[in-house]
Amino acid sequence: MEHPLLFISVILETLGLPVPHGPVGHGLLEQLCEPYMTYTWFTMIFLVVVGKMTLGNLEMVPGKGQNFWEILIGGMENFFLENMGRELTDKLFPMIATFALYIAVANLIGLIPGFMSPTSSINTTLALTIIVWVTHHIIGFRASGFAYLKHFLGPMPILIPLMLPIELISNFARLLSLSIRLFGNIMAKETLLGILFMLAGAFFAPLPIMILGVLVSLVQAMVFVLLTVVYFTQANEHAHSAF
Amino acid sequence: MGTKVETKMSKMSREMIHLLGNYGHIGFTFVAAIFIGLAGGIYLDQKVFDDRTTPWFTFIGLAFGIAAGFKSLFDILKQQEKD
Repeated sequence: MEHPLLFISVILETLGLPVPHGPVGHGLLEQLCEPYMTYTWFTMIFLVVVGKMTLGNLEMVPGKGQNFWEILIGGMENFFLENMGRELTDKLFPMIATFALYIAVANLIGLIPGFMSPTSSINTTLALTIIVWVTHHIIGFRASGFAYLKHFLGPMPILIPLMLPIELISNFARLLSLSIRLFGNIMAKETLLGILFMLAGAFFAPLPIMILGVLVSLVQAMVFVLLTVVYFTQANEHAHSAF
Repeated sequence: MGTKVETKMSKMSREMIHLLGNYGHIGFTFVAAIFIGLAGGIYLDQKVFDDRTTPWFTFIGLAFGIAAGFKSLFDILKQQEKD
């Protein structure tokens, strides 16, 4: 397949920095210049700069930019409140909202020629997932102390040898399914777009896939956030076992 | 002015998001559970016990993986009932 033209990589190459052409680079500098890294930085800078530009100073009567952010952030907060309750929302809103914005922008940016989605690399999605996974255990331990381990012991003591491996496996399955679903969907979108551009780009063949790509990008960001919320809520509950 | 339209739309889309979130990951979670169980069994057989127990831990791991897959389906159902 043809190599996609990524403008940040081109810029870095003209600056003399090593940009790896394989999936994984050798050495620290080459790993830092991998496209998914550079586009992650690009997404972060984009979010910060756009936020700063549209939200210079808050006003009582919101302008265009502030209105947009108020609807977005307010909608997200209402959604979290409905699912997680006041306490968890106050504690975790910055983290989950950042994830939502980052994943949505990172997914959508890949639709523009010259850009790629950082989330189409398993490294990015696995990193996000590990953060969520570790955080939901921390929330569990903070909510119920060592009684949190009862979540993994099943309903009664006799069943512990049976239920413990099952619960552990299904808990680790979260790690795998959350990361691979996001990665798989976005990678499929990117690859399909690349192939269609190569085959019949002059006849607008990728256009229908781009429409689907917008849908997939937003839905996957939403699903990631919703599952994060569900995991946090479940970890925060007390285990209702008989012993 | 726009609140009525907005609430109607957001109610519908919220339901949609809920459905997607609750059921969109069923397939992947099921498969992931089975593969983790199987991988654990293979690891025990080949690395921990040096091929002395060969098919057995793989089968046990696979069984636990399948059980975990069904258990996560059951959890999703339970979660749905609670809402």
